[in-house]
Amino acid sequence: MDFLMLLISTGLVSGAAYGLIAMGFALVYKSTGVVNFAQGEIVMLTAYIAFSIANGLHLSFVPLVLVTIPISMLIGLVLERIFIRPMLGEPVFAIVMATVGLAVILRSATIMIWGSEPFNFTAGMSTAVIKLGGIPFYPAQLYLMAALGMVVLAIWLFLRFSRYGIAMRAVAANETAALLTGVSVNQVHALAWMLSSGIAAVAGLLFAANFKLAPDIWFQGLKSFPAVILGGMDSVTGAALGGLIIGLIENLSQGYIGEGMREIAGFIVIILVLMIRPYGLFGSRDIERV
Amino acid sequence: MRTGHFKENPGQLVALSDSRVVWTWFAGMLCVMVLAPFLIGNYGLTLVVSSLIAIIGAVALNMLTGQTGLISLGQAGFLAVGAYSNALLLTDYHWPVWLTLPASGLIAALISLLVGIPSLRLKGLYLAITTLAFSFIISHVILYAEGVTHGPNGVFVKGATIFGYDVQKGVPLYYLVLGLTVATILAALNISRTRIGRAWMAIRDHDIAARVMGIDLVRYKLLAFAISSFFVGIAGALMSLQLRFVNVDVFALILSIEALAIIILGGLGSIAGAVLGAIFLSFLPETLRLFFSMFADEKSALFTDYVYEIRGAAYGVVIVLFLRFKPEGLIGVWKDARKYWSNWPLAY
Repeated sequence: MDFLMLLISTGLVSGAAYGLIAMGFALVYKSTGVVNFAQGEIVMLTAYIAFSIANGLHLSFVPLVLVTIPISMLIGLVLERIFIRPMLGEPVFAIVMATVGLAVILRSATIMIWGSEPFNFTAGMSTAVIKLGGIPFYPAQLYLMAALGMVVLAIWLFLRFSRYGIAMRAVAANETAALLTGVSVNQVHALAWMLSSGIAAVAGLLFAANFKLAPDIWFQGLKSFPAVILGGMDSVTGAALGGLIIGLIENLSQGYIGEGMREIAGFIVIILVLMIRPYGLFGSRDIERV
Repeated sequence: MRTGHFKENPGQLVALSDSRVVWTWFAGMLCVMVLAPFLIGNYGLTLVVSSLIAIIGAVALNMLTGQTGLISLGQAGFLAVGAYSNALLLTDYHWPVWLTLPASGLIAALISLLVGIPSLRLKGLYLAITTLAFSFIISHVILYAEGVTHGPNGVFVKGATIFGYDVQKGVPLYYLVLGLTVATILAALNISRTRIGRAWMAIRDHDIAARVMGIDLVRYKLLAFAISSFFVGIAGALMSLQLRFVNVDVFALILSIEALAIIILGGLGSIAGAVLGAIFLSFLPETLRLFFSMFADEKSALFTDYVYEIRGAAYGVVIVLFLRFKPEGLIGVWKDARKYWSNWPLAY
């Protein structure tokens, strides 16, 4: 029983990281129709930037987050302006391939700036173990799960009530109609990239604090694909839930099926979901198929 | 634009080329390639062999992604299947190399059918993600099926001889790879002018219309997967011969991205483009090395420290720049240059 509880708790923790990264994917896909293959690299880049800020200014956790998020949103804006905006009107395939190119560039740039050696990064958190109902947690793990909850709530409120959130949903529903009612589609696209980079910063910071700050964090981006697919590509809150489910599936299959299942359980889920219910749990049903 | 040049029957329309000049150039090129080992040194020959293998892989991926419009991010997975099949059949089962090469192609084709079946209902990005997922699953299976694949230890490839020549290095390897490259290109050119190739292009341009015209989507999509992966498998097998050692790390995701970069760079859907792109991109790292070695020691030290990163970044920059400024790829540049040349001094 202890074994099961431990698997579930670590599953939820890594699932929370997947959920955060997946929300970034879903946000960009929802408003621009593009799968951003560079999301994992943005997560890695922002984690390294947070590391440099934390080392330079000796900030504790909350101020560090408050400083990192605006910087990463700015990075998202710049990336969108340089790499994605000029491609507007090109076929989706071309834009997606541009994000693949962007991903490789960011990955190389990060390694060339910070080197390929991993760092220990506490992000100003203590490492004392906290017991919750008999299950031990590190503070970083609790922060990660709390962050997922807070980001989900914030994004939900934003999409539901704020003027820009409604504009974003309008663009997602019908871009041309939104344009005709006076929504600036360009601004919405830029905003989606900014927000998803902001979420990526939260994910990167907390992921690095939980594990290690190493130049293979980008791979978490690919490992979060199952979460987006499961939640439905255009459902932002669905992606968060998908992340938690994928985290659980990975850990349980690692524990009960066999060594190494953690690495591929998610990818098997992708194939199953795409075969059975390609629009995921909460996505809209207009996925292309023949 | 040639004047007085009419195509009078369907046969002329689908002919590979009706121009004597093109055939002469092709023959001349082939002569140069056959004589190449006597003209360039060992290091040059290794580079040329790598770029020829890249050509096979790119032409094969172009069948799937360029001609049928099925985006694949699983190239590395199929290369791995081909390389491992070849390495294991040669080393553990002692098959002769002339049998292991087609066998690795066939095994890759069979596995691609497995990938193809769930992919039939999907297209575009969803297919790309599925193939990506499959390539991770393939490398995982290789890593954990230790009984067959030696797992994380990798396989040393040895014992590949044809007529007593060791085809794992130098001139014999070069001729083997050259022969297979020419065969692949000819096969690709010929497939694209048969019913199969035209069906693929119809599926790419409009799948529903293609189906209405009586093209069996399931059959032709699976055929695209199988034929493409057959050649990718052979490219993988040749990689294993050249590298002499295979393990899972060789077939990382960057290889799939490199393959896509090649066909985007060359011009999607064009076989000549795939060839040009493969040549360009396989000589890019070498050009970068020469470029960096022109600077002072500091900068060339930077290059040796971050050789993979600089290479990766160069691929990324090439993809982004071509998509942005020249979506038709190198073949588009070539066509523009030719038009400019023949129309000069007029604009068009």
